[in-house]
Amino acid sequence: MSARLGFNPYLLMLPGLLISGLVILWPLGQLFVLSISEVNRFGQILGPDGIDNYARVLSDPLLYQSLWRTVVWTVGIVGGTFVLALPIAMALSQDFIGRGLARLLVMLPWAISLAMLAIVGRWALNGESGTLNMILSDVGIIDENIAWLGQSGTAFPMQIILGIIATLPFTTTVLIGGLSSIPTDIYEVARIEGASWFATFRRLTLPLLRPFINIAIVLNTIYVFNSFPIIWATTQGGPANSTDILVTYLYKLAFRFGRVGEAAVLSLVMFALLLIFTLFYVRLAMRKDEQ
Amino acid sequence: MTMSRAKKSLLIWLGLLPVFAITLFPFLVMLLTAIKPKEEVFERSWVPSRIAFENFTAMWTQTGFGRALLNSLYVSTLATILAILIAIPAGYALSRYRFIGRSSSRRFLLVTQMLSPIVLVLGIFRLLVIFGVLNDVNVVAVLYAGFNIAFSVWMLESYFSTIPRDLEEAAWMEGASRLKTLVKVFLPLALPAIAVTALFTFVNSWNEFVIALTMLRREGDFTLPIQILSIVSGRYAVEWHLVMAAAFCATLPVAVAFAWMQKFMLRGLTAGAVK
Repeated sequence: MSARLGFNPYLLMLPGLLISGLVILWPLGQLFVLSISEVNRFGQILGPDGIDNYARVLSDPLLYQSLWRTVVWTVGIVGGTFVLALPIAMALSQDFIGRGLARLLVMLPWAISLAMLAIVGRWALNGESGTLNMILSDVGIIDENIAWLGQSGTAFPMQIILGIIATLPFTTTVLIGGLSSIPTDIYEVARIEGASWFATFRRLTLPLLRPFINIAIVLNTIYVFNSFPIIWATTQGGPANSTDILVTYLYKLAFRFGRVGEAAVLSLVMFALLLIFTLFYVRLAMRKDEQ
Repeated sequence: MTMSRAKKSLLIWLGLLPVFAITLFPFLVMLLTAIKPKEEVFERSWVPSRIAFENFTAMWTQTGFGRALLNSLYVSTLATILAILIAIPAGYALSRYRFIGRSSSRRFLLVTQMLSPIVLVLGIFRLLVIFGVLNDVNVVAVLYAGFNIAFSVWMLESYFSTIPRDLEEAAWMEGASRLKTLVKVFLPLALPAIAVTALFTFVNSWNEFVIALTMLRREGDFTLPIQILSIVSGRYAVEWHLVMAAAFCATLPVAVAFAWMQKFMLRGLTAGAVK
């Protein structure tokens, strides 16, 4: 058959591999060069620097604070989203009147860009007439207005909540997809056998949903770990670096503090971490694919 | 014991109400603020005394919305066209040919799909400085295309594989060339998938933040997210009714597109992974 094909698959693949390789590998090479050079704040290379940049990054206390906050950020959003998304997905998988509309309403935050969501958050959480203050004082929970984003104790939890709003639609969609792949007749059998709702959920739904849960969690971990706009557009990591996660700290090192060499090191470290997550995901994805 | 369908529906809707309150919250905040008359914006009231349509015209003239809209449209359209033109042959190759390196190509694409621009932004910035192409919307469009290729290829491949080969083979039998078959038989069948993939790429580019923030530094080149952020940051008195009107107008087209694409979401974002 291949005699009549007339196309060469390698030629067909070439532009795609070339451009996605170019956009990733070339900058990666630049980052490596920067990471082992002495670089001034304008990004000009002054000379070789060995591992000094690496040493400086590793001895920076702000790095460890940002790293810890990244862990809280990622676990908070990925975990919080999952806990919410599972019951929502189960409800949206029932057969009920207006299901299409209900699904749409849950999916809507997907349409907002993270930057826009952050700007809305900035307004809704402001210390004077912000929407949240209005709601809470109308209900009688607070007497005084709170500047939610102005202090570290409330800013970071609020950013995590914004992150959960942004992550919920995708997670719910994946779980709905998973639930719809479970054949309904096994539930019939379970009911005839007299299994309780909880036993059915634990013994049937959860195990069968497992691959979808895995993929949702790994993908969310990758996305959230990398997520820059919410924190940048609300507080830029402030006040006083108290809401910095690795990506915002990286951005500041590169484009605010002029510590370009260190920023390159941090980029490479994050790249390596991401690669580990991703290979984990590829294993999950490809395993499903081969089945 | 079994409830009526109506009763069950009512219960589910009631149970989901708090969820809708959260998911609709950003939209309500945008809309309610956007239609408030200027003098009521900082008042503690939910319902404006009248709908201030003039906010939208003021937003247009005072926030640089029009120019940013054009920039966003230009960058997103160019990125989409590039990504689709490059992804179609690659998706076709992956779905129709078995060749050495096929599986590693797919793996490579899957890895690139996961890499967020943020870890590369410094390297990209440096390259653009070296080549003197900072503040160039065309370059940003190429970058967007690059970051969306992997996803587009995956998505197209998964759809292409569902198109039966019989039709193409019938066309070859009748002597049509491979290219002609592709253009006249195959691509028309794949049009829905191409449209959805294009829309995804468009929306991704429309909403992209960190590359635009870093590579476009002149106000005249700003895309919508950057323009709207720039009128919020670094100003003493922010005109929130205009900001929210702008945010609403930038989000509305995407929300409408998403409503339409809803059923394709799963296939797209976990393309190849979840079947």
